Amino acid sequence: MKNLATPLELAGLGSRPQTERSDALSFDWRIASIGLSVALAYYLGAKIGFALTFRPHPVSVLWPPNSILLAALLLTPVRVWWVILLAAFPAHLAAQLQSNVPPTMILCWFISNSCEALIGAGCVRYLIDRPVRFDRLRNVGIFCFFAAFLAPVLSSFLDSAFVAINRFGQDSYWEIWRIRSTSNVLAALTLVPFIVTWSGDGIAWLSKIRRARILEAGLLLIGLLSINAIVFYKLAPTADSALLYLPLPFLIWAAVRFGSRGASAAICALTLLAIWSAGHGYGPFSTRSAEENALSIQMFLIVMSVPLLLLAGVIEEHSKAETTLREREERISLAAESANLVFWSINFERKKSWMSDKGRAIFNFGPDEHLSRELFLSRVHPEDRNAVDEAIERARASSQTFEFEYRLLRPDGETRWLISRGRYVRNDRGGVRELMGVAIDITEQVEADLQLQLQREEMTRMSRVSSMGELTASLAHELNQPLTAIASNAAAGRRLLAQGSPDVKMFEELLADVATDARRAGDIIHGIHHFVRKSEGRRCPVNLNEIVREVLRLLHSDLLGRGTAVETELAPNLPSINADPVQLQQVLLNLLMNSLEAMNDTSAASRRIVISTTCEANSSVAVSVRDYGSGLPADDADKVFAHFYSTKPNGMGMGLTIVRSIVEAHGGKLRAENVDEGARFFFTLPVARKSETREVA
Amino acid sequence: MVDDDQSVRRGLGRLFKSAGYAAETFASAEDYLAREIFEGPICLVLDVRMPGLNGLGLQETLEKRGACEQIVFITGHGDVSTATQAMKSGAVDFLTKPFDDVELIEAVKLALERAEEQLHKRRERREARGRVDKLTPREFEVLRLVIIGLLNKQIAAELRTAEKTIKVHRGRVMQKLRVTSVPDLVRVSQRAGVSPAHNPHKTKIN
Repeated sequence: MKNLATPLELAGLGSRPQTERSDALSFDWRIASIGLSVALAYYLGAKIGFALTFRPHPVSVLWPPNSILLAALLLTPVRVWWVILLAAFPAHLAAQLQSNVPPTMILCWFISNSCEALIGAGCVRYLIDRPVRFDRLRNVGIFCFFAAFLAPVLSSFLDSAFVAINRFGQDSYWEIWRIRSTSNVLAALTLVPFIVTWSGDGIAWLSKIRRARILEAGLLLIGLLSINAIVFYKLAPTADSALLYLPLPFLIWAAVRFGSRGASAAICALTLLAIWSAGHGYGPFSTRSAEENALSIQMFLIVMSVPLLLLAGVIEEHSKAETTLREREERISLAAESANLVFWSINFERKKSWMSDKGRAIFNFGPDEHLSRELFLSRVHPEDRNAVDEAIERARASSQTFEFEYRLLRPDGETRWLISRGRYVRNDRGGVRELMGVAIDITEQVEADLQLQLQREEMTRMSRVSSMGELTASLAHELNQPLTAIASNAAAGRRLLAQGSPDVKMFEELLADVATDARRAGDIIHGIHHFVRKSEGRRCPVNLNEIVREVLRLLHSDLLGRGTAVETELAPNLPSINADPVQLQQVLLNLLMNSLEAMNDTSAASRRIVISTTCEANSSVAVSVRDYGSGLPADDADKVFAHFYSTKPNGMGMGLTIVRSIVEAHGGKLRAENVDEGARFFFTLPVARKSETREVA
Repeated sequence: MVDDDQSVRRGLGRLFKSAGYAAETFASAEDYLAREIFEGPICLVLDVRMPGLNGLGLQETLEKRGACEQIVFITGHGDVSTATQAMKSGAVDFLTKPFDDVELIEAVKLALERAEEQLHKRRERREARGRVDKLTPREFEVLRLVIIGLLNKQIAAELRTAEKTIKVHRGRVMQKLRVTSVPDLVRVSQRAGVSPAHNPHKTKIN
């Protein structure tokens, strides 16, 4: 053993650093033990081979040492192959020296045997990644062709040549080639898979499988052994040759239920039993000459084992693929769950459907409910149903992917927002095979967006209202100065007159000041018009219906809060006008606020505002706001537009003035009138002339 | 009166003159502060909103200066918080433009009365202070003990001196403060802001 370890250390591992010495040492021991077991197995294999020789036929029916060598090479890394060959050599000598074979022949045989193992293992290792397993059809095919067929056949040429050169025996070159080929093909087919599949993790696999499986394996083994015993031992040599295939069901059982391990073990058992029986003169393979018997039993066993190994490979490959698929599916569904994704598919050919659990929960489908377009549509919000149905139909007709956003109406009344994406999969004949897709629950995002939009609208509303309020406040302040001056002057004049000492010069000054201040107040009022006109540059074609809708949206919460119903009678196809949309919003907002305040004393049930738009002879559009409130002062309805006129206890009387200014700045007219149980404000605005519209556009 | 608007200044100036007041007008708070301090009673009619130092700012500045002007605020927009702050800081009234002339004149009249009163009090205090200042430290000690009602004997014990000496001191105090009775003495002391001594006997009893 030490002898084996030292050269290895010198060759490959001597340069390793000192710290890893213990590692290197244990590695050496492992290599040594591999060498020893190969030598032992090789020797035992040779013994078995001798035992399975049909006397007087000189060549063994099954020659295991070559296969043991091949299996050892398949199981070990390439860099230790020389150890294995080195270990096998003494075993070969020890086994062969017991027979009367010249030493040169013994040496030659070792060379040809090693060649066979090297060709087989080299090809397999080149084409299959380590570890070598018989769990795929490709692997089994490669093994059967290169290791079990090509290697024995090729090396047999060498072997026959050695025999011819040494003038050993009486058989012809081709005779020896044929005998050795078949013997070694059979050995490789039966022994190598068994050794390779069981030596690696076979024992560990046995300890892992369930008790029921072990019971099944025992049952299978007993059945196989007894049927083998009956067929190859008890059966009369003249029995029907079809009975030879009686073990086949058990072999298939082994392959189907226990994969490559089961199949290789069963083949091994079959081979050993059949050859032993035939060698001892029992069973169907004992009728003719030893040579013929050997050939027919070899052919029989080769024909049996190749398809079985392939079958086992296919079955293992399939089950492995299934496991991989299941794992992948689990990974996908995990990803789907964490991303609020719903996967689904409907197979029309197999009439099967599938949807991830989370999806069934979202759509409120039963766990086994069959999915269909109708069932899906029944969950979609009625308002979205047509659009969704059309989108699916379009996708079906055009074979394109569909994607749409829609709402689900759940039985508890909750609405959820989803995006669905999917496509129809067609079969070879162009028909629809499957409909598959994903859905994403985006309710939270949509709600956040809606919230944001509401906030934005609230801000717009506030700014519209407050800009109006600020304007009024600053106007009030501006106007208060001249008014205070006028009032003070008037009061002073009255006092001076009362005192009876009218200073004429002073009175002249006083009255001049009063006149100046009055003019100044007038200028400020004109300033409102000026302010309104300032934004004329921002005019664009405006649809009044849009303005009405927008303002109603802005005032939505106020209207709700005051329990006021709003009815709209909007004229379709209203021509657009050229206006500043923000100012028109302010006009409507003011009129609506005015109406709301006028209905403070109206009973909640009859609080109602009617907004209507009309088109008058295509030259102007009119908007009317009608309330069911306290109405206008009876004497003169138009007085409400006068500056500083207010019926409200804390009103400044400016709101309607500004409204009128805006309307007039747009070339329109604002009127107010009393109607049954309330008041009506309406304004007209001229329709944009074609040329103007074009200019703006 | 202080207002940044010339028309208002002219109008109000005329009104005050017609009501018989001597009115002076200023275009800004800074202009008013630059004027030399007038010794007589003053009513300040102040606009709240002015460029530079506004009405409330001027009120604060005057309070720090220890002046006794009484303020009537006038404003174009009367918001509650400004009015509350102004009144808390001692304004006489807070009027929103345009106001009734009678209302304003009444407010001004009230303000002037208060200013007069304040001036009177101040004059008295200053005079009383002047008299108290003439006392020697010893006499001041005696005064503080007299006004809490101690007898000469008790004062002597307190100051560890003869009753006779106290009697002499007491006589001087009465003479310097120009009073003839103890109640008058107490009144003058109060006006001058003399703090009474801590009563040693009361604590002993307790």
